[in-house]
Amino acid sequence: MLFAAGAIALAALPYAGVPPFTITLLTEAFIFAIWAMSLDLLVGYTGLVTFGHAAAFGLGSYAAGYFAREVTADFFAALLVAEAIVVGLAVTIGFVVTRVSGVAFAIISLAIAQVLFQIAIAWRPVTEGMDGLVGVPLPKIAGFTIDAGAEFYLLTIATLVLVYLGLSRLVASSFGRTLQAIRTNEERAAAIGINVRLHKWIAFTVSWGVAGIGGTLMVFMKAGTTPMSLHWSESGNVLVMAIFGGVGTLFGPMIGAVAFVFLRDEFTTRFEAWQLAFGLVFVVVVLAFPSGLAGIFARAWRALWPTRS
Amino acid sequence: MDLNFLFVSMLNGVVYGAFLLLTSLGLSLVFGLGRVVNFAHGALYALGGYALLAVIRGAGVGYWPALLLAPLLVVPIAIAIERTTIHPIRHRSDIYTLLVTFGISFVIIGAIEYVWGTGTTLLKPPQPFVSTVDIFGNQYPLYRLVAAGVSLLVSAGVFAVIQLTPVGLRIRAITDDPGMAEALGVNTKWLLTLVFGCAAGLAAFAGALGAPIFAIHPEMGMSILLDSFLAVILGGLGNLPGSAIGAFVVALTKSIGGGYIADWSTAVLFGVVAIALIFRPTGVFGRGRVA
Repeated sequence: MLFAAGAIALAALPYAGVPPFTITLLTEAFIFAIWAMSLDLLVGYTGLVTFGHAAAFGLGSYAAGYFAREVTADFFAALLVAEAIVVGLAVTIGFVVTRVSGVAFAIISLAIAQVLFQIAIAWRPVTEGMDGLVGVPLPKIAGFTIDAGAEFYLLTIATLVLVYLGLSRLVASSFGRTLQAIRTNEERAAAIGINVRLHKWIAFTVSWGVAGIGGTLMVFMKAGTTPMSLHWSESGNVLVMAIFGGVGTLFGPMIGAVAFVFLRDEFTTRFEAWQLAFGLVFVVVVLAFPSGLAGIFARAWRALWPTRS
Repeated sequence: MDLNFLFVSMLNGVVYGAFLLLTSLGLSLVFGLGRVVNFAHGALYALGGYALLAVIRGAGVGYWPALLLAPLLVVPIAIAIERTTIHPIRHRSDIYTLLVTFGISFVIIGAIEYVWGTGTTLLKPPQPFVSTVDIFGNQYPLYRLVAAGVSLLVSAGVFAVIQLTPVGLRIRAITDDPGMAEALGVNTKWLLTLVFGCAAGLAAFAGALGAPIFAIHPEMGMSILLDSFLAVILGGLGNLPGSAIGAFVVALTKSIGGGYIADWSTAVLFGVVAIALIFRPTGVFGRGRVA
């Protein structure tokens, strides 16, 4: 109920006098929220920290953007093509990278994302190199063009809600609980007969698939993309969002993504030192509040109403 | 393609490899000792370049004394960083140090941009190495060769310290078996602090030494950080001779491959490293630690 009310309230914002610039920031924040939630399935629920999650997002952007420009601007067609490519690659990559975990997984995923980044630079006939993909048209749904601004914002919210509902089902299912068992203790999970590698493989694929949805929305929002969308610093950014917000919950990464976008906007317009300030906050969060903003809110909530569990 | 082009590419590769060697040794040592994957290594490299600028402009000294002073300024900063952020979370899983050093990298680069701005500074090669030398008809900048030579000498010094001194013996003991080393009375925690500081000093030295070649800007450490990772992984994490070979493999692949297949060479390099790490997590030479 609370969730539905919240979603409706957010959807009403463009019609309640909220300035277009804020709506643009919110759209970006909600796209990042989808991406950060997909990352959390790996980091928070399965215990696999990846430094290459930009690969899934950026690849989704390139695939959807290229298809929309060359074939048809239909949103669902572009999404389907992007998903086919992202999920197809995730199945292949996931099969090999799930052999390892911990630091090795983090670095291998980084290396794989950098391969895609370099390909995006080198494969000029398709990706247009460093210039990036430009001229992606506005998306169409059932023949109607989704305008930038309020209409696209609504599309983003609808996608976010669907992704959230789907992922919350998934993490509450027996599959999701198994993932958490693997995160807590991989050896023990294997000892009681869980096929650890298969579960990691599926989680990896789902995570990439969801990130690809975010990438598809992003390429339509920005009307294009550049190789930087695949760069490891982007992978770092989404990791910052998820951890800042609080991994192991779905709300945490959403809060983290919104906080990230708005803080970045605030810091870069008011102070010179966006990286400095955000880096400090991030270090403090990792050191002192491993459960992130969501954890701080939960603690404050319990302190205010101790009787409610 | 013509042989001369290949030769110059190789020469550039060797020069870059000498720099990678300095940064890779530090990364590899810190990982071997404390299983700390230091994402801030590139930022410390950049800090070395800026420390050099600050000393030259602030103290009014020439390039050479500044080159010696700059790393000495970075070492205490790095030690402070280790004591305040990495030391307190040593008991947590390895992945936390990776996240914290990533955040620290943000902080250092942000601080650099705040203090010195986001611009690029080009430094002239220092006296008396401003000229070029003639190698088989190519005019090659003399300073590059000198800097590569200095890098190799310093790296040899690091190897000597690790192999021949009592401190080096303790470092090797911890890399082999931290539990046993500690049981025998080696203070692993302080040694990690010390080595982290010295590794940062090496990175800073490389940043300062490379300033007249690669230019100084806040993000200058990012690509060398990734290349050092590649080198260290190829050689096997914590395996110093492996890292040394890895550094030259990465540098030569980039410079020679870059001349023939342009940006594809780096894609191939990352692909090879990913595959190597999956199937030989102990490095190509099989002597490193499993990450």
